[in-house]
Amino acid sequence: MLNFLMRASGAAAATVLLFILFSIVWPGPALSMDQHTWSEQEKAVLRSLSIEALGSLPVDPSNRYSDNPQAAAFGKKLFFEDHFSGNMKVSCATCHRVDYSFTDNLPLSHGMDTTPRRSMPLIGVAYNSWFFWDGRSDSLWSQALGPIENKLEHGISRTMSAYIISKYYRKDYEELFGPLPDFMEENFPQNARPALDDPDALKAWVLMTPEQREVVNRIYVNMGKSIAAFVRTILPQPSAFDRYVEQIHAGETIPSRMVLTNEEVAGLRLFIGKAKCTNCHNGPLFTNSDFHNIGLPQKENVAPDKGRAAAITQVLSNEFNCLGQYSDAHPNDCPELRFIDTSNKKYAGAFKTPTLRNVAERPPYMHAGQFATLREVLEFYRSQAQNPELSHGNLTDKELDQLEAFLHALSSPIASFQAEVQ
Amino acid sequence: MKRGLFVIVVLFLLLAGCAAKDEQTSGAMEEMTESHGHGDVKITKHFDESLTMLTDKNLFSLEMVIPAKQLSMGVNTVEIIVHHASGGDVPQAELTVTPWMPSMGHGVMQKPVVTERGGGLYSVDNVVLSMTGHWQLQVKVAKDDKEDTAVFNFPEVKAMGHEHAMMHAPPPKDLDYATMKMTANNAYNVMYKSIGGQIRINRIHSWELTINDAAGQPVNDAMVTVVGDMPEHGHGLPTQPEITKVGAGGLYRVDGMKFTMPGWWVVTVSIMVDGVHDSVSFNLNIL
Ligand code: HEC
Ligand code: HEC
Ligand SMILES: [Cu+2]
Repeated sequence: MLNFLMRASGAAAATVLLFILFSIVWPGPALSMDQHTWSEQEKAVLRSLSIEALGSLPVDPSNRYSDNPQAAAFGKKLFFEDHFSGNMKVSCATCHRVDYSFTDNLPLSHGMDTTPRRSMPLIGVAYNSWFFWDGRSDSLWSQALGPIENKLEHGISRTMSAYIISKYYRKDYEELFGPLPDFMEENFPQNARPALDDPDALKAWVLMTPEQREVVNRIYVNMGKSIAAFVRTILPQPSAFDRYVEQIHAGETIPSRMVLTNEEVAGLRLFIGKAKCTNCHNGPLFTNSDFHNIGLPQKENVAPDKGRAAAITQVLSNEFNCLGQYSDAHPNDCPELRFIDTSNKKYAGAFKTPTLRNVAERPPYMHAGQFATLREVLEFYRSQAQNPELSHGNLTDKELDQLEAFLHALSSPIASFQAEVQ
Repeated sequence: MKRGLFVIVVLFLLLAGCAAKDEQTSGAMEEMTESHGHGDVKITKHFDESLTMLTDKNLFSLEMVIPAKQLSMGVNTVEIIVHHASGGDVPQAELTVTPWMPSMGHGVMQKPVVTERGGGLYSVDNVVLSMTGHWQLQVKVAKDDKEDTAVFNFPEVKAMGHEHAMMHAPPPKDLDYATMKMTANNAYNVMYKSIGGQIRINRIHSWELTINDAAGQPVNDAMVTVVGDMPEHGHGLPTQPEITKVGAGGLYRVDGMKFTMPGWWVVTVSIMVDGVHDSVSFNLNIL
């Protein structure tokens, strides 16, 4: 009897030993029983991707109104204001739709006319270092001033913006920024801005006195800073993926209780492993906010989009950048601009890595809407296996299914500032 | 057609701003002083690696200290030492520095910021050069009732950039992640430390380097460069870091370090002292 027991436990021990040996040598298929088991390093990666890692909003030293709730309330009104456009029909929300993850559903955006690029989702955008696909702005407030004077987007001028503010938003403005002058044709031209694409507006701008230009620029900048204070508040909420990471860290392993399906978890494992997506889509917003040329097909019959390479000069010479006179920052508080990498060869055709939060909710994809579905995006990545930054062995059809399933798990409702209207 | 031309000329005047005015006034003054004879005029030079220039009316001699005597596209910092043309440093002068692109006829919107450091030394931050090509730095010096100007030429301002070898292979298994190492030819011992603790991906941050010679003595006056590499991918850092001498304890501060990809990075620190060059590479694993 004793003998038998001893033999039995000996056999059990041997089995256990064999099992341990086996599991060391053989990592197991992706869909094994313990697919919710992650190594310590993998757990650290999961945590770095989870919304918990987001932290509080980064301070924007160039905008002293960025965390002012009154400015955000004002900015919110401006964001939805159709008057700021050549046809009274375009607002920021035209191309950044609240019901569409703050982007639009078009391959190329359309305001006054069709733009050369796709719109961008504004979820968690304040955590970026650079703005636009090519990063030609270094703050959200200078970014907001771009579309207003862009002929294809809002298509008005900074003087017209000042007119509109003085007519419709005088009280909001003056409470925040002090007295506004009267805007009448005798003192200010209606359509004046310093840009080469509109000779009349440029001439009108040049003929203004330096003091007049300064007055208009101030109002324009304050408007941008208010809009930025609102855009900053557009934030993701926890997605199924984030709840899963919480479960893993709480030690939950019972398959039936897990938030993600087996297929989604398999996709997650590929995303941080074999498929190497976290080379660029890293951090809690799934973006490194850096620029890469991932080898997208070029559009035919149009000049190639140089992307970041062309934007470096633009951001350095922008009068509204962090080092300029309208910035509230000390030059030492502008590290991104101070240490900007100007190697334009490296950035030819490079675009900013977009966030993947809510990605499944907002086709089409890429900077010029090159792909209509996530499947097309993934097929494209599979075809780029020879690019060292993207190399991932060869992804099978099944693995593409899994990656696609995982991307769906990154969706969540979006929080944004609620202006308290009394 | 004609109107287009007018508009362009006007725009450049606008961008030129005060720079165009400066040119006129300094030109006029030059004529005035031409009749006065020249006294004892000499160029004073404290540093080997500097550019020197007499101002137009021979009132001052300027010494400009910049890394490798070159400015690059982006945001630069330069140091200027102002001397009297007869010798002797000039403290409490008012310096105005204007970047100018002569072939294009424009400057930049950002004004350089001048800070007096004492002993005739002025540091000029925020020198923004927005593109590659021929740039000038116009330096105007005003001291008491005297004013004079000099123009430094930089015929070939280039974009930053280094060659990065691509290995396209996983890192060797036995990578050495030490943060203190001897340089390749054993001339120096180098230690790096990320200020503010563990390096976090996508965060711009600073390093502190400690450099000692082989005998363990601090090396305080080296020309140091720092280059980052991702050998698997054949690219470098997404920033151009800047190195500042602390001046004691063999310490150097490296600002503008940033890693935007996880994985294996190699950061190479090159050190040059009195013409002796040596370098060391550190391996990092960014999570
Ligand atoms: C006509 C459509 C359109 C309108 C109107 C518009 N945008 Fe955009 N938005 C775009 C497009 C297209 C891009 C990308 C442009 C590019 O990269 O060149 C973009 C980019 C952005 C970005 C950068 C996001 C990032 O991740 O870098 C922000 C922020 C933004 N818009 C905010 C605004 C605000 C605020 C307004 C109103 C003042 C506005 N947009 C009006 C189409 C529009
Ligand atoms: C080398 C960096 C890099 C890697 C690695 C990478 N991406 Fe991307 N990703 C980008 C960039 C840059 C873009 C935008 C490209 C453009 O529009 O020019 C992008 C765009 C996307 C988009 C479209 C999002 C949108 O809003 O348009 C999706 C989806 C996506 N990537 C998923 C993935 C997945 C899944 C992987 C892994 C298989 C991956 N990416 C690997 C850099 C990368
Ligand atoms: Cu890389």
